[in-house]
Amino acid sequence: MTDKAIAIENVDLSLGKGAARVHILKGISLEIGHGEAVGLVGPSGSGKSTLLMTLAGLERPDSGRVAVEGVDLAGLDEDALARFRGRRIGIVFQSFHLIPTMTALENVALPLELADAIDAFERAEKELAAVGLGDRLHHYPSQLSGGEQQRVAIARAIVPDPAIIVADEPTGNLDEKTGGSIVDLLFALKRDRGATLVLVTHDTALARSCDRMIRLRSGRIEADAPPVGA
Amino acid sequence: MHGTLPGPARKKPFQWPLVLRLALRELRGGLRGFGIFLACIALGVAAIAGVSSLSRSLTEGLSSEGRRILGGDLAFSLLQREASDREIAILREHGSLSVIATLRGMAHAGENGSALVEIKAVDALYPTVGELEANPPGAPEALFAEQDGVYGAVVDPVLLARLDLAVGDEINVGEARIALRAALVSEPDKVADGIGFGPRLLMSIDALRATGVIQPGSLVRWTYRLDLPSSAADDAELARVEEIVSAAAPEAGWRVRSRLNADPQFQRNIERFSQFLTLVGLTALIVGGVGVANAVRGFVERKQDSIATIKSLGSPGGQVVGIYLTQVMLIAAVGIGIGLAFGALIPFALAFAVGDALPIPISPTIAPRELAVAAFYGIFTALAFSMGPLGRVHDIEVSHLFRDQIDRDRRFPRLRYMAVAVVAGAALLGLSVYAAYDRRVALIFIAAVAAAFVLLRFVSFGLMALARRLPRPRRAAPRLALANIHRPGALTPSLVMSLGLGITLLVTLALIDGNLRRQLTETLPETAPSFFFVDIPSAQVEEFEGFIREAAPEGELERVPMMRGRIVSLRGVPAEEISAPEDVNWVLQGDRGLTYADEPPEGSRITQGEWWAPDPEERLVSFDEEIGRGLGLSIGDEVVVNVLGRNVSARIANFREVEWRSMGINFVMVFSPNTFAGAPHMHLATLTFHEEEDRAREPALLRAIGQTFPTITSVRVRDALEAVNDIVGQLVVAIRGASSIALAASLLVLAGALAAGHRARLYDAVVLKTLGATRAKLLGAYALEYGALGLATAIFGLAAGGLAGWVIVTRIMQLEFVFIWSGPLLAAFLAVIVTITLGLAGTLRILSQKPASYLRNL
Repeated sequence: MTDKAIAIENVDLSLGKGAARVHILKGISLEIGHGEAVGLVGPSGSGKSTLLMTLAGLERPDSGRVAVEGVDLAGLDEDALARFRGRRIGIVFQSFHLIPTMTALENVALPLELADAIDAFERAEKELAAVGLGDRLHHYPSQLSGGEQQRVAIARAIVPDPAIIVADEPTGNLDEKTGGSIVDLLFALKRDRGATLVLVTHDTALARSCDRMIRLRSGRIEADAPPVGA
Repeated sequence: MHGTLPGPARKKPFQWPLVLRLALRELRGGLRGFGIFLACIALGVAAIAGVSSLSRSLTEGLSSEGRRILGGDLAFSLLQREASDREIAILREHGSLSVIATLRGMAHAGENGSALVEIKAVDALYPTVGELEANPPGAPEALFAEQDGVYGAVVDPVLLARLDLAVGDEINVGEARIALRAALVSEPDKVADGIGFGPRLLMSIDALRATGVIQPGSLVRWTYRLDLPSSAADDAELARVEEIVSAAAPEAGWRVRSRLNADPQFQRNIERFSQFLTLVGLTALIVGGVGVANAVRGFVERKQDSIATIKSLGSPGGQVVGIYLTQVMLIAAVGIGIGLAFGALIPFALAFAVGDALPIPISPTIAPRELAVAAFYGIFTALAFSMGPLGRVHDIEVSHLFRDQIDRDRRFPRLRYMAVAVVAGAALLGLSVYAAYDRRVALIFIAAVAAAFVLLRFVSFGLMALARRLPRPRRAAPRLALANIHRPGALTPSLVMSLGLGITLLVTLALIDGNLRRQLTETLPETAPSFFFVDIPSAQVEEFEGFIREAAPEGELERVPMMRGRIVSLRGVPAEEISAPEDVNWVLQGDRGLTYADEPPEGSRITQGEWWAPDPEERLVSFDEEIGRGLGLSIGDEVVVNVLGRNVSARIANFREVEWRSMGINFVMVFSPNTFAGAPHMHLATLTFHEEEDRAREPALLRAIGQTFPTITSVRVRDALEAVNDIVGQLVVAIRGASSIALAASLLVLAGALAAGHRARLYDAVVLKTLGATRAKLLGAYALEYGALGLATAIFGLAAGGLAGWVIVTRIMQLEFVFIWSGPLLAAFLAVIVTITLGLAGTLRILSQKPASYLRNL
């Protein structure tokens, strides 16, 4: 499994308790190579976001194995997993999830500070400049537009130079034009850094920009192929 | 290469620790949602800091003003006798000597009636320290001088009002004519004389002698005040002089006080009372702790997304807890700072506002040690109550950011965080026991608080379980109310906790207050006497008894010989070396009334040993059983008392059980008649009316006795009880003042708990309104919910407060307990009304909003 960025083997996952327990992922297996861009698509409740969280180490499967960059996530305790995520996986959320009390610069520097990097702020500043926000360093999230907030979130995700970027509906809260520029940015950064990109989306155009499109339905992989017309 | 986080190796510039840095950044969002938290911590800390600073300021006042209070460097006081020439000569060797005499007496103003007065007779040197302030002002020698056989006096304005007199009028005291030359504004040495039952009458010693009330055995206290040659006389010199004087006159039997310890009894009272008030302050802090926990819980809820985000960026759970704990403790530090500032100001504010009116000196002081202790109370409270909700931060999952979860994870915090909470709680309680004057009371308090917490948890669980099991009402409003009581995230636990603690406290206080007053007024037994007559000279006994038989034939007169003396040693151990329990220690301090008798006194029963036969060969004593046991005495033990400057020894023959509350004449020690053979003494008598209509004649009888026997002091029991009632009233005001802080805390917590529930309520209200619910229907449902919770909690509060009141009244105060319904019921009723009003006030605002604007944001 070491030659793959992500390797998932026969993963099952249920959420909830008692009568409310729902079997969400059912025997999922897949491999994603280094530098690949993969789009996860499917109807609501099909398990896309849960699969994304599982491969980012945010949910532990009930059974099966998940390896990221050759590391079996089951072998990491919670703190080790947090540190691993901080260094190797960048996450972009649909709702941005910036810390409202921190400036753009502080938000971006945060993962570096948590990893004890001494040049956290210099690197964060460069990364913000790279996403076109060099003049917005000291603005708080509430002072930024939706597109700008998502750019900050992307800068924050890529600043530790992660091997894998996962994005959950990154354009879901943005208008079409802004969403388009965000997609361009994500793919450009992925290309420049050779990172693996896994994104969940309802946007077929966005899914088509990926190297692979995996379609889920009721917790199973229904289709896994290069997008038609890509 | 991916994930190469730390940059090139170079010297790291100084930075605050990451946890502090991130905590400070997070705090930029302001203190929104922490108003109740801050108020609770500040209020509790202010109460504790204020009480302890005030206590310290009073103590400092007593010690720095010791010389003024005492009227010199050392004071030697004797009861019932003046110092002998030899004793005076011994004292004079060490410095300048002045003397005062104090006693209770009767002021007679003819048709205007008579009144009990606290007489203080002074010599020409008075006041040796400080100044006597009078209105109109004048030099003491002029105010007290004799003119044409009439002596001058300075009088408390209370006496002028009581007897309808004015400055310039004359009264009779004993056989002397006294002109009231000025009204007393302040006397420098008032504290040293203790609490008086009547207004002050200041006169010269010559005037006192002229009254004729000083006879062998009269209850006069003579105090000789020694001013050492230089006021700079150091503490060692004071102790040396005290030792020399004691060695030179070992049998004098005087009570010695120095300027360093001018009023030990008062000092003890300050400590005892400040402990009580500190416990009330601690109650405020602990009640506020519930508000702290609620606020932190709300804070964690609001911050879920930020917490999950920080975790998603690589921060381990423990580190995130550290960040948010730091924030909470920083906010707590602000609250503690505010509390300390207010608390430290209290003595200054009090001195500024009413300093002159206080009967005791106050030296407003910033007391660092006391403030530090108060700060620790605040820190431990914040930590103990916030650690539980903060511990949950550890397990907040990043997956929250991907999906909306209505049912937030309610897992129990990890063991390590609960351990911190328990240790902080133990430190809080340990500190309160360590700092307590009476540790037993502190332990009872802690047990009561712990029990209240556990019981209130059970009450809320019980209420929720009951609401869950009750059949679902057909009508919407009660069905909604019932569901609101038991649904996940319901207000029930926090509302029951805050309201329950508040009602319990209110009911407890109402019962203590009511029972104290009842003891003093209503429970006056039928057999209680109407009058005490003090200082009846032996020579006038027959004449006095004849007069009473004629003037009040229906009254029952009881008379015993009476002298005063203090215990010198028990079983050969000097009294000052005996460490006795608090409740019996008073017997060893100061003078006790002593008597002798052939027969056991009425109202007492021999429980061990035997009463003596007539004319016993040895000197025997009968001891009160409870006190005797408390002092560790047994039959046959030797008791030495000092009476009129002589040490007299007697052997314990028996123990008696004494019914003190009958208010008849009774004594801790009753001696066999041979013990004091030949000693001059006075008599004490009581007069009891058994019929209510006879009691109406008390004022007339008081006047008649005053005219016929001017030197005999008559104390009308009802007047004395009124005086005691006034003193208790002042204490109750202080208790109520401190308790109102605890109640304010509980109200704050209640308001906070209700406000915290508003978000969920807003959601319900908007959805229900959209579905067609009218405002009246929703209001009805909420009123039902708050009313039901308030009522159930009030019932618990009545029971728990009743139990707490019973324990305090019967076990700590050792008084009879009666459940007085009016106060507690009113308290419980008000609490329910306040809950419904506060709850509906918040809901009304919500109901007046249009749903559309909210629906867009839901």
